[in-house]
Amino acid sequence: MTLSTKAKRMIAVGVFVVAVIIFIIFRYVVEPPPPQEAVPPSVQLVESRLVGRKDGRRQWEILSQTVLQAGDVVTLSDLKEMIVYQDEEDYLTIDAPRAEWERKTEVLRLFGPVVVEGEDGFRLESDYLVWEGSRGMITSPGPVWILWHGMEITAAEMSMEPDSGLLHLRGDVEIRDQSMVWKTEEAVYNVDAEFMDFYGNVVLEGEMGND
Amino acid sequence: MIRKLMVVSLLVLLLAASPIWAAENESGRLEITGVPEDVTAGRYDRQAGVFSADVTAIEGALVKVIFEEVEIVGQKMEWRTDDNYLIFTTGATLTKEDFTITGDTIEYFGDEDRLHAQGSVVVTTDDATVYADEMVYDEETDEAVFTGKVKVVFEDGVLEGEKFVMFLEKSELQFFGAFQGLFNTD
Repeated sequence: MTLSTKAKRMIAVGVFVVAVIIFIIFRYVVEPPPPQEAVPPSVQLVESRLVGRKDGRRQWEILSQTVLQAGDVVTLSDLKEMIVYQDEEDYLTIDAPRAEWERKTEVLRLFGPVVVEGEDGFRLESDYLVWEGSRGMITSPGPVWILWHGMEITAAEMSMEPDSGLLHLRGDVEIRDQSMVWKTEEAVYNVDAEFMDFYGNVVLEGEMGND
Repeated sequence: MIRKLMVVSLLVLLLAASPIWAAENESGRLEITGVPEDVTAGRYDRQAGVFSADVTAIEGALVKVIFEEVEIVGQKMEWRTDDNYLIFTTGATLTKEDFTITGDTIEYFGDEDRLHAQGSVVVTTDDATVYADEMVYDEETDEAVFTGKVKVVFEDGVLEGEKFVMFLEKSELQFFGAFQGLFNTD
């Protein structure tokens, strides 16, 4: 059977149209289903907003541009906003470019430059900050600078226990309080009672005498 | 006797020259030394504005306040910053160049411009040593009052009584009550 030139053209056009349709269907319409992302029970992933909860109470909230989950570690990059809550109220706002959340150990690592701000002019700067959710402990394993209650504090290391209200400062500790400057190797500041214990040798420089 | 009183006058001048009670907003330094790293050396109560240190249980540890040319050393102290009050207890020593005061306690009342040494007080200079139970210096009245078993020891004599007052500006000495003097004659 001999096909006419016209019929051949029509068949060719038909084959082309079918090919285009098949291509469009597979390229743009039918996509493989997205991989199942296991969301841990303590973390809610809503778009790019992560919410950390403990016993149903909101502990922190992060707005992040990029979220990468690998195993038990959630890596957050291009952090836009991070808020730590205490009794469901805003407690601290944190500015950091990158964070890692270890779900099983409930450890949140913030990579610097990290700036933490809170009430009463509180400001903390560190290159690396670790928050242990189980204990609520905040640690700066490296140098830290703190402005708090009119005091300017620097130390080689810092840890803060919110439950006990104790701020531990270690290594080259310097506390500037109005006209007084305390220098020691270790100090513990009881935030609630507002007293400082100094360990080891201490130097205080400041104004003495009449006003 | 006149010569002896001149020697005492030198003591008066040395006391008057000591600036601890006359200084205003001068920079000072407090040092706590000899304390192991894991032992608490002192505590500062921010609400009360009180710094306290007690190193009596630590061998070799000392609390030292250096203020201009004056140095106070002891093992237990409290500094009430709001009241500008400083107290050293447990064997305190105040030194200024060739002048030393020791006592069980040495208190400095900054707002009142008053220095108070109590308990086995010994004031030592190059020329004389004064022993008393208590010494109070009041800058406003310009008086240094020694009370209780007062004994002034010179190189060649001793004066003893119950109360002895130095008027620093006027370089005057006043003895109250019975006073005994014993001098070696040339």
